[in-house]
Amino acid sequence: MRPAADLRRPRTAGRRARFALAAAALAILPAACSNPKGPMETAPPESAYTQAEAYAPMEAAAAEAVAALPDFPGFEQRSWAEMPCSRGGVDDPDYTRIEIRYRFSLPDSGAPLVRERYVELLRDHWTGLGYEITADDAVEGGERTDRNLVALREDGISLWYAVGGYAGLFIDSGCVPVSDAGDIEYVPPTGGVAPGGPGDLVGDYFPEGVPAAREAVAPFEPPADYGDHL
Amino acid sequence: MSELTWEHLRDLDCGAVRSLGDSWQSYTEQQLVHPERLRADVVGGHLSVEHYESDTAATVRDQIDMTADRYEDDLSDYARTRVATTLFEAADALEKEQAELEELVPLIEAHGMAIEGDRHEYDVNLSGDLHRAILTLDPPQWLCDRCGVRKPDGFWDWDTLKVLFDGADLYGTAVGLAGQYQDWLRAVMSRAHDADDEAAAALTAMSEHPGELPPELGAAYDDLVDDYREALSQEVADEARAIAEGASDLSPEQVNQWWEGLSEAEREALAEEHPEWVGPVDGIPAAARDTANRALLDDRIGGLDSRIADKERALAGMDPGSDAYERAKEELDGLETDRRELSDLRGEITDRDGGPGTHGETGQPYHLLGFDTEGSGKAIVAIGDPDTADNVNAYVPGTGGGLAGSGAGLLDRARTMASDAQFYRPDEQTATVLWMGYDAPDDLIEATDDRWAREGAENLERFTRGVRATAEGEPANLTLTGHSYGSTAVGAAASGQGVEADNLVFVGSPGVGVDTASALGVDEGGVWASTNDEDMIQYAPVHGNAPVNEDFGAGTFTSDSPREASSPWRFWEGATENHGSYWDTDESATGPNTASRQNQAYIVTGQEAMVR
Repeated sequence: MRPAADLRRPRTAGRRARFALAAAALAILPAACSNPKGPMETAPPESAYTQAEAYAPMEAAAAEAVAALPDFPGFEQRSWAEMPCSRGGVDDPDYTRIEIRYRFSLPDSGAPLVRERYVELLRDHWTGLGYEITADDAVEGGERTDRNLVALREDGISLWYAVGGYAGLFIDSGCVPVSDAGDIEYVPPTGGVAPGGPGDLVGDYFPEGVPAAREAVAPFEPPADYGDHL
Repeated sequence: MSELTWEHLRDLDCGAVRSLGDSWQSYTEQQLVHPERLRADVVGGHLSVEHYESDTAATVRDQIDMTADRYEDDLSDYARTRVATTLFEAADALEKEQAELEELVPLIEAHGMAIEGDRHEYDVNLSGDLHRAILTLDPPQWLCDRCGVRKPDGFWDWDTLKVLFDGADLYGTAVGLAGQYQDWLRAVMSRAHDADDEAAAALTAMSEHPGELPPELGAAYDDLVDDYREALSQEVADEARAIAEGASDLSPEQVNQWWEGLSEAEREALAEEHPEWVGPVDGIPAAARDTANRALLDDRIGGLDSRIADKERALAGMDPGSDAYERAKEELDGLETDRRELSDLRGEITDRDGGPGTHGETGQPYHLLGFDTEGSGKAIVAIGDPDTADNVNAYVPGTGGGLAGSGAGLLDRARTMASDAQFYRPDEQTATVLWMGYDAPDDLIEATDDRWAREGAENLERFTRGVRATAEGEPANLTLTGHSYGSTAVGAAASGQGVEADNLVFVGSPGVGVDTASALGVDEGGVWASTNDEDMIQYAPVHGNAPVNEDFGAGTFTSDSPREASSPWRFWEGATENHGSYWDTDESATGPNTASRQNQAYIVTGQEAMVR
């Protein structure tokens, strides 16, 4: 049976209510859009870090989580991602939100140690550190159970241990003021990802090459090309 | 303009239309034997060089060869692509709407309602009997059930009195249901008219533009044959231009057949000499479009550099206090904005060596499927290859979207969706498309008008049909994810033009233009909506019934409300700022929106059973 044949709420009454609410909402919203800093606030909420400052404490948070996990198999890859920050539904170009993503390999993602035990250990560990657990749930699927554990720190950084088809650790900065690309410094990865290696996926931030890879020159090997040495 | 009434549609024998298409198809295959016989038996047989060696014989062989080619081309272009495919498409589209009608009309009749009005804007009204039944306090059982009252038994008892007091509610409920059926019927007929008009236009265009034939042998042959050969190569170019400029009536499926019918050399020549006729066209494979669009992007940026330099030189010779200077300065600013936005877009999809880039995290190549600087600007960028993917998710942004965001924030969201899809479904390939292919409203005042959605509907419809047409192997599981006003755009395309999609996902929707999922022309099981508890948009569904409402009939999924008000009395902060939080993007949002991202990834990758 179609949903339309199972209607309970009269459309006309619903519409009357919606018009009234829409009018009320629109009275607020236009100002939200016309003023990129928002209708009610003159400045965005303060953040503990700028974008450039946030990477180091976020990576430290990842390292600290990894240190609490025994028999750690190592992550397969690390990447730095961003998402826009919006106010009243409109993106604010002065702010960004960093998400550092560590991911286990597919075989390691299927191990009970990673899918179950680490969730329990991190729950205890983060709670012990005084972090606020903001999500802790499981989703039963036919062939697997997915899990989420999210902890929020006082400085606005949050940690999300996610178990899906892959498993991984995502560290989120909250909204931070955008920095110049040149001010963003390389921070080596943790959890067994080789700095500048194939799993260190931060190349978009360093167009001249990931610093760790640039610096990793074998001292006693002759250069492939003498162009810069002659 | 289609003359189809709902009765015509109900009674139409779609099987007969499809059989006609089959006839043309088999006719094409039978006829292809003839040019082959001409080449083998005539040119390569008794008229071959071994038997006839002279200039005249060579000319005759050439002429026969050209005639055979022409015949083959016409069979392919007219009999198969235009006639047969048009008939198949029309039969499929009309049959789909006919099935909707077969479900809808009995519901209308069973509820004592009637279809009235013009075929282009049918009304569904309460019948006289139903009016009377309500007014005489004898409402039908279904209406009593909906309003939660017992049907009166004819005496002035408590139930009768309750019905009397609930009269307005009974009436409102009946009118509300009629309104929903009306939405549904109008959407069905709109899509049916669209299919009918498209088929008629394609068939008419065929008869209006017959192809040139090779010149007849005779005294003027030598003079005419060069013109013919030139016209032949021009024909491909003319057709490509007509398709790109929207002057052709070919559907994306037919465009794909046309493209596949070109020789490799013709395809390469078109992409190289006229990338503007290849890059934006739905129905041409993504790889070819990407190559053409990248060339086009380079050209456009180069052209802007020249224009900026010219404008700067002109400004240098002007009086800075003059009106002409102000105007020229304004133009220069516009050019520089376009240059910067296009350059940003190029930077996002290009690797360090200037080649096509890949999304590092998922390892998927970018495909540039279109861009434009007109209005707020447009950009269609795929992460992954939609032609080979198991799943395709097209993200349609809302208010404030444009080319500027496509070079950064909007593409960042699409990248997150791509990563999430891979994270939750690693055994399948999912291509994520940022579909900024319509001129979005700039602000929420403009967003109260649905014209932006209506104007973009045809583009979105063609995009979905293009994805279907260029699929290699099994068609992908295709999802359209509309955010905010983007959901209104998806709704307008789905109910008005019809989209080829398996799932429609509406997040933070202000309404999708219709009041029921039934009117969207896709399986209702694939219609999903989410609004978090704190999103202000739930209070402002200005484009129809909010799709999260139970009576809309969509599946709903959870989104967290990560944004909190900074103090209890600043109650509006959470509501206004949660309206972008489906990807954890609000300033001062507290933690990532795991539920929304996870649920969207499940839907997009065909794991709906895990949606919560």
